Amino acid sequence: MTTRANALPTQEMTINMGPQHPSTHGVLRVILTTDGEVVTRAVPDVGYLHRGLEKIGERVTYSQFMPFTDRLDYLAAMNCNCAWAWAVEKLAKIEVPERAEFLRVIVSELNRISSHLIAFGSYTADMGAFTPFLYAIREREQVNDLFEMLCGNRLTYNYARVGGVSGDAPKGFLEKTKEFLDYFEPKLDEYNNLISYNKIFVHRLANVAVIPAEEAVAYGLTGPNLRGSGVPFDLRKDEPYSVYPKFDFKVCVGTGERGTLGDCFDRYMVRINEMRESIKIVRQAVAQIPDGPVLAKVPRVFKPPVGEVYFRSECPRGETGIYLISDGSVNPYRLKIRTGSFVSMNIFEKVTRGLMIADVVAVIGSFDIILPEIDR
Amino acid sequence: MEALALSLVNAVPLMAGVPLWTVTLLLMVVVAAVILVFALTFEGVGSLVLRKVAGDIQARIGPNRVGPNGILQFLADGVKLVLKEDLIPANADRLLFKLAPYFAFVGSFAAFVVVPFGVGLIAADLNIGIYYVMAVTSLVVIGVLLAGWSSNNKWALLGGMRAAAQIVSYEIPVGMALIPAVLIAGSLSLQDIVRSQGGLFGIFGWNLFHNPFTFFSFFLYFTAAQAETNQTPFDLPEAESELVSGYNVEYSGIRFGLFFLSEFGDMFIVATLATACFLGGWNIPFFNAGTLPWIWGNLLSLGVFLGKAFTMVLIMMWVRWTLPRLRVDQLMRMAWKYLVPLTFVNLLGVSLWLLVFKGKGIPAMIASLFG
Amino acid sequence: MGLMAYLNDIVEAVVTTAKGMRITARYGVNPKEEVTLQYPEERWEIPEGYRGFLHNDIKTCTACTMCVKTCPVDCISLESVRGADKRMVLASYDINIGRCMYCGLCVEVCPPKSLKHTSGYEMASVTRGEMTLHFIAEDAAEVKARVARQVAEAAAKAAEAAKAAEAQAAAKPADLSSEAGKAGGGEPKPAKEGESKE
Repeated sequence: MTTRANALPTQEMTINMGPQHPSTHGVLRVILTTDGEVVTRAVPDVGYLHRGLEKIGERVTYSQFMPFTDRLDYLAAMNCNCAWAWAVEKLAKIEVPERAEFLRVIVSELNRISSHLIAFGSYTADMGAFTPFLYAIREREQVNDLFEMLCGNRLTYNYARVGGVSGDAPKGFLEKTKEFLDYFEPKLDEYNNLISYNKIFVHRLANVAVIPAEEAVAYGLTGPNLRGSGVPFDLRKDEPYSVYPKFDFKVCVGTGERGTLGDCFDRYMVRINEMRESIKIVRQAVAQIPDGPVLAKVPRVFKPPVGEVYFRSECPRGETGIYLISDGSVNPYRLKIRTGSFVSMNIFEKVTRGLMIADVVAVIGSFDIILPEIDR
Repeated sequence: MEALALSLVNAVPLMAGVPLWTVTLLLMVVVAAVILVFALTFEGVGSLVLRKVAGDIQARIGPNRVGPNGILQFLADGVKLVLKEDLIPANADRLLFKLAPYFAFVGSFAAFVVVPFGVGLIAADLNIGIYYVMAVTSLVVIGVLLAGWSSNNKWALLGGMRAAAQIVSYEIPVGMALIPAVLIAGSLSLQDIVRSQGGLFGIFGWNLFHNPFTFFSFFLYFTAAQAETNQTPFDLPEAESELVSGYNVEYSGIRFGLFFLSEFGDMFIVATLATACFLGGWNIPFFNAGTLPWIWGNLLSLGVFLGKAFTMVLIMMWVRWTLPRLRVDQLMRMAWKYLVPLTFVNLLGVSLWLLVFKGKGIPAMIASLFG
Repeated sequence: MGLMAYLNDIVEAVVTTAKGMRITARYGVNPKEEVTLQYPEERWEIPEGYRGFLHNDIKTCTACTMCVKTCPVDCISLESVRGADKRMVLASYDINIGRCMYCGLCVEVCPPKSLKHTSGYEMASVTRGEMTLHFIAEDAAEVKARVARQVAEAAAKAAEAAKAAEAQAAAKPADLSSEAGKAGGGEPKPAKEGESKE
């Protein structure tokens, strides 16, 4: 790295940003080779949280696998539940009642809000501002309270079922949701004033790890990581599923407002703006939700037809794609889950070349990875 | 100290036969012990106040289980640290590892000697006051470097290197920002600087309002001092979320406790310097503290001084919990490209002002207008 | 960097810092913003439908083993024997709440609705053994032995009744058809009673 020919000979340092680290958002091991503070190579080493979910899927039935999808991405459990339900329904061509679809959209978007809150909170905590994290947790607790009222659990919801949802919204749930949205919307402006546009924060994030649009597409990034580079691709608009066509919302795209297009700041702002759009969607869904049953008639011993299906849904961390092969029996023959966080690890090595160690932390936070999704 | 010893020998007949140097030595030990107790108490309570302030800002309650409202939390923490296992990493440099916390603690504690607590309350009114403080607080750098190096841990090494670079770089703006106060008082002694802010102008006698350049240099001093004490936004050496506690990652038990305490001690020193040089020190508004009877003068001035110093410490904590952390190159850039030129310009401005206006500040000029 | 950009940097830093500090100050001085729930003195009000620990009402449980089959992690285990009245009698019913993932699938499929979630969530223990809830107090072997005895007694009674019926049938062949009719009318009753209990 030194270009001074008669300088002191230097040696590169290999540091282990080990599985136990406050900023790697889970048990991610990054092997850093640095020249002082500047990183020459950062190789992610994943697998510390591998639990064999896909193999478990071959042993349990379709409805028994639903609680396992909770643990696929525990911060966006509703999204993963619904993704699995939609995949199986696509395979077996089951018609889902409309009220159930509306409820699924409401909980998916509320969970998107709470997942982005954690992304925002933990990112600012990594950057050294410990306060916004606690504000985010306070808001998230209210979403958890809503979900506790709805399905009985605060983290691993197991709410969706093949053919609908497990239970109808109890009395007062929709009103409480509206109250929460009214309380939460001004908080986003508060967060922007407190930390998003703070000069130090902007300087930490702007122009760091710029990913141009073509590269983002080539590496297979999805979700806010892709949209932060300026590519307006959102599965809810481009390959609509469920009742998303009924709602009016914008696709949030990075604009390069404080640096270059596709840097960490853009990805961060995309998540903040997506929270606003999710609030819009939930408001519309609560206003338009019809009455009716919430679970279609599905046989107790459920055997879908032989075939294979790939269904992808827009989860907070990118596209969660489920590839399902059925051989006509009660257990899936093979299921493969493609998650946005795993694919973000592809570009990690390329993007961290030449950054400083503090920037590696910024990059990990801007990709908003979560290890259960990477390791499954 | 000698004068006090002499008066003590003369007053108490029992001590007539004791040589003066013994009495002076004993007196120094007693004063040092008093200051040590004060420093440790402040540092302990400071850590608790930090956590309570953090709780208030973060919409939660801080520690509140130990003692009423959590007041005794720092004692519990102290006992816990003392009882912890004393780990020294396998290939660590044992002597340096054990030595490092003491350097850091001495670096912050020795500066308490020249802190002007009250009208007559100063351990040693050195005539090189500020110079002494700047020199002695540099010992902290050695402590941090030793800790980072001897831990045999790459993360600690990175933290130690960053800390050394940071503290050394920010010493320049700190010094330059304090010089205006020295120029106005005409002396390096802290008691003289405080006395020069006394008088009939009350609050407006403070150096803060003397001229716009000193107003500026107060904020420059405060920013640079925040960096000197490794507080966020400059807490890279111990960045919890990056370096996993930086240079003190391998320290446990009371060794870690010494580093932790010396951080609060540094905060207090910085706050007291700011108070003494810019905010009028122990001067009671519109009073001449020297004319009051000995007990009242000292008590009141002590109260005023501590009030101002603690307010400064609270403001440091407030800034700490609001701002994110600067990256190391941004930190160095800020020191060398922003703070150093600004403090130089400031110094030039103050010197020119004093030359042109013959040492009179804005309040004095306004007062002379009205006769 | 030009002078204007330099000064702009400084001003922007100060302004954004001040904005942030105003927000944290507002939280700092307002005690109503503290949202901490002082557990264990204050407790969260558990809503209805909360998926806490499982509880099985043994009297209504029919030992159909639907819960055992549905559980994704195999945390329920039960043993049952067929009793004297042809219905299953539970010899043991254990739920390992350390393994349970509180998904609620077993509660959904329970036909007599005897298995339910409670709102309990506090059962910290220091040994794994305490994490298995036994819903039948008696030892399984004892229950089985008792039921076996009952079945044997019932079989013996049935054999005696059959012998008595045969003897009567041999004595009065003319009343055989009416007795058969009475016997035929009497048999469905226990089954009906059993159904109403369910």
